[in-house]
Amino acid sequence: MLQDILVTGLVNGGVYALLAIGFSLIFGVARIVNIAHTAFYMLAAYCFYALLVKGGLGFLLAGSISVLAVTALSVLCYRLVIEPVREHEAAVLIATIALALVFQELMLLSFGGNYLGIPSTIEGGVRFLGVGIPYQRLLILLVAAAMLTGVWFLLYKTRLGLAIRATANDLEVASLMGMNVHRVAMATVAISVALAAVAGVVVAPVFVVDPFMWLAPLVTMLAIVVLGGLGSLKGSLIGALIIGYVEAITVFALPAGAYLKGAVALLIMVVVLLARPEGLFGVAFEEER
Amino acid sequence: MYWLRRAWSELTNEVFVLPSRTLALIWVAGLLAMPAVYGDAYVLRIVTMTCIFAIFAASWDLLAGYTGQVNFGHALFFGAGAYTSGLMSLKLGISPWLTIWAGTAVATLFGFLVGYLCLRLRGSYLSLATLAFPLIALGLLFAFPDFSGGELGISGLRRLAATPMGNYYVALISMLGIVYGLWLLADSRFGIVLHAIRDDEIAARASGINTPRYKMVVFAVSAAAAGFSGALFAHYLRVAGPSTLEVALSFQVVIWGVFGGVATVYGPVAAVFLLYPLTEWLGSFRSFGELRLLIFAAIVLLVLLFMPRGLAPWVRDKIETLCPRCKQRNGAWRSVCRLCGAGLKAQIAGAQGLVGHQ
Amino acid sequence: MIRTAFLAAVLALYSFAAAAQGTIKIAILGPMAFVQGENHWAGAEMARDEINKAGGINVGGKRMQIELIRGDTNEIQSVPDATNAMERVITRDKADFVIGGFRSEAVLAMQEVAMDYKKLFLGAGAAHSKLGANVEQNYERYKYWFRVTPVKDVDLVRTLFAVMGAIGQQIRTDLKTDTPKVAILAEKAVWTEALVAAAQKNLPGMKMEVVGTWQPSATATDVTAELSAIDRAGAQIVFTMLSGPVGISVGGQMCEHNMKAVAWGINVEAQKDEFWQAAAGKAQFVSTLDTYAEVEMTPKTVPFVRAFRQRFNKSPTYNAATYDAINMLKAAIEQAGSTDADKLVPVIEKIEHIGTGAVATFDKRHDLVWAVGKTAGIAVQWQDGKKVPFWPPQVKGMQAFKMPAR
Repeated sequence: MLQDILVTGLVNGGVYALLAIGFSLIFGVARIVNIAHTAFYMLAAYCFYALLVKGGLGFLLAGSISVLAVTALSVLCYRLVIEPVREHEAAVLIATIALALVFQELMLLSFGGNYLGIPSTIEGGVRFLGVGIPYQRLLILLVAAAMLTGVWFLLYKTRLGLAIRATANDLEVASLMGMNVHRVAMATVAISVALAAVAGVVVAPVFVVDPFMWLAPLVTMLAIVVLGGLGSLKGSLIGALIIGYVEAITVFALPAGAYLKGAVALLIMVVVLLARPEGLFGVAFEEER
Repeated sequence: MYWLRRAWSELTNEVFVLPSRTLALIWVAGLLAMPAVYGDAYVLRIVTMTCIFAIFAASWDLLAGYTGQVNFGHALFFGAGAYTSGLMSLKLGISPWLTIWAGTAVATLFGFLVGYLCLRLRGSYLSLATLAFPLIALGLLFAFPDFSGGELGISGLRRLAATPMGNYYVALISMLGIVYGLWLLADSRFGIVLHAIRDDEIAARASGINTPRYKMVVFAVSAAAAGFSGALFAHYLRVAGPSTLEVALSFQVVIWGVFGGVATVYGPVAAVFLLYPLTEWLGSFRSFGELRLLIFAAIVLLVLLFMPRGLAPWVRDKIETLCPRCKQRNGAWRSVCRLCGAGLKAQIAGAQGLVGHQ
Repeated sequence: MIRTAFLAAVLALYSFAAAAQGTIKIAILGPMAFVQGENHWAGAEMARDEINKAGGINVGGKRMQIELIRGDTNEIQSVPDATNAMERVITRDKADFVIGGFRSEAVLAMQEVAMDYKKLFLGAGAAHSKLGANVEQNYERYKYWFRVTPVKDVDLVRTLFAVMGAIGQQIRTDLKTDTPKVAILAEKAVWTEALVAAAQKNLPGMKMEVVGTWQPSATATDVTAELSAIDRAGAQIVFTMLSGPVGISVGGQMCEHNMKAVAWGINVEAQKDEFWQAAAGKAQFVSTLDTYAEVEMTPKTVPFVRAFRQRFNKSPTYNAATYDAINMLKAAIEQAGSTDADKLVPVIEKIEHIGTGAVATFDKRHDLVWAVGKTAGIAVQWQDGKKVPFWPPQVKGMQAFKMPAR
């Protein structure tokens, strides 16, 4: 049982990490709580389904096009819908909720409410420590690791990354220093949604695709990001692993209580918040504008 | 006779001078008289549901708009009121007229609890933490299905009044009473403190205000109103199920609140009265029915773009102006303030947009 | 004012004329954006077209046509929407009869509204016993409710065990083991509580060993944890009680892990045509309780299933029994000679209706009387992308049950 927990927790944690890091990035830089984050993940899954199953394109091509299309859409949405109301935090919040609802309904109308399945990129599995792991899940883990490394490289080794970190640190001073804050915000949105889109493409074969698939990961992702600390990437990663393991432990230790795994994860989040109000690695923002 | 004259003078001097107050009066009168004109059971049902949700939305606004604690799990209080009142009236056989108060009480307790737990949290952390509470409650409900009815909830509850019209008036009077009460609360010294807490909590504390106490009290009051509306909901639908706790309901009330205008108790009420019948009406068309949620979301997005502060403040800005000297509201058509005589029109042409608006 | 009066007069005249023209309005309520509502409507349309073409319903000498009213309850997402829809079709659209419903929580609320107005409400989707228990506890109020499909949840158990016995026997012969091992995989829900308890109690008596009980959430998308544990426990049968999308995950992930156990039980998602695609083609040998297949359950079954497939390009699910409901209503109206609900109730209580999915008779709770070959339904198994019916074996058209290769 222990090896089950180890492996399952790691794989699920990897998936959650992909989603959480993107969300955390956008919050850290643009102070936007993007409720539509997992809705983009859903859009990418649908796009992948449409291109792969209906269009007959290859995995790599379908996947890349999906990611690019969804990223482009997100930047468009940001310009049209979010940027005009940036000043009003509450308005941004429900703008993203409304956006997510629009995507959900569009998918419901185009594809129907049925559950759709996407064939795995690689069939078959391997036995590791006595636990059967399908190759698809290993792929998810690899992609997650690659993406995370890519993001780290981007943030810490490039000028754009420097600009992003500076803007996250202090918006006004960054602007004073000559950085185009709007462009940086757009770039951040693009990167963050790209991460979610990659997650959608890679994870969708493992889960089922339906217009409401964005709600459950949303809650878990929010729990992770809050647990790890909004705006902290390290926090999101560690939070993702914690929640992944908590869920695995719940399922293995209490087979009759498997349905509780969501509630337990949230309970952990609440407990951590009580002890540390900014999350594990979060930064308490002194002055919020 | 004196009271009649007093009422009349109050009306002419306080209410009719301002278009917004006149509108409110007309709206209240309209609702009270509606069954005489439109006694259709279906319409009564829609407006009754609207009244119940209006209480819910107004309670959220008190919490989120006035103290800035944007609550993403407001459905917890709604569900607590619904389940408590339902369980008590079903299992113990007590009349619903009494159990709704019990539901309100339990919801208030939850309000205190959540308020206490969220005292140290700020901004988005608070919002996301509150999102968790209804879901944890759902998990607990599912863990004890014999008690709570699991995913079916409890059914076969008794109605408060026997006829649709009776239920309509119960919901309407409750809504008018509670919304007015919340508005009075927000408009009083208590409300000023709440504004202060939202704008700068540290400064408020430095001025000697016991902010944790205020925050918890607001949580409790808001939860009480939400629990009351939940209990009304349960006894109207005669079913209290997990749908009263779901995330979609919490999001819905946030949308109503922000759409209508935060920090104005009447804003969310107006939003509910506009959006709920609209979505219901859209749903009754065969071709539009499936587009209902899409149209709803699209309307919300569009309105946000043009009225980012919400619908009610935007409308109010168009029909009224603020006097720059005494800061009291006047009808937009006036050229001098009704109270202090200061000029309301801008001296320079084209600068009217800068004068007299909040 | 005058305009409203005029409008009211015109409407009154119109409705009078419409009544004089002779239509019976039947409202079909269901989640129309989802497969359940689609099937409700499809079955009803087929019945309406057939009956109207044959001349309509004979109400005491007068021929009346059927007019269908489409009510989208959106019950999967919102219970108040469902009650609003019920109220609307009764008060606005003036429906005479209401058929449909799916989500038990919503149907309980809708039942209250329909009983308020004393309208006949024929259930075509919700299995919860409370709907029938209400009839028993308060007959005068709830007598207008009849459940045309499915059998109530406790009777589903009896079918499950009947098939379980058959499968267990096959395992005993194929695998030469005396006590097949069963793992119970039931979603955490009220409707499975009684089933799980019954399974844990009865299976040992059927000479089968219960190796464990796992209860994921109905919407769980990842059941690898549960399946790994089940595999390790060496189960040969996975007894499923799943109604949500978790059914798809179970099917697909069992195949992914190359599990040697076979899945049998209730798996609502596996009843749909789209299941194979939803599990990405990896749902081999998943078996479930079902209602419709091209087998001769009754003489009407095969023609109905074929006609349905031809018209709608997909197989009917149990919700399409609205077809049976309307035909049964027609028989009752013609027998009673009136459309008055109070006169129809005693007629339907004694009726024996040979439908397309079942031979229906009702007990005192207005639930279907359970009997194998009559109302118990069939069992199907997914083999190579097709739903193959295999039980009850005595019905014409049944094929063999297959096990995963070992």
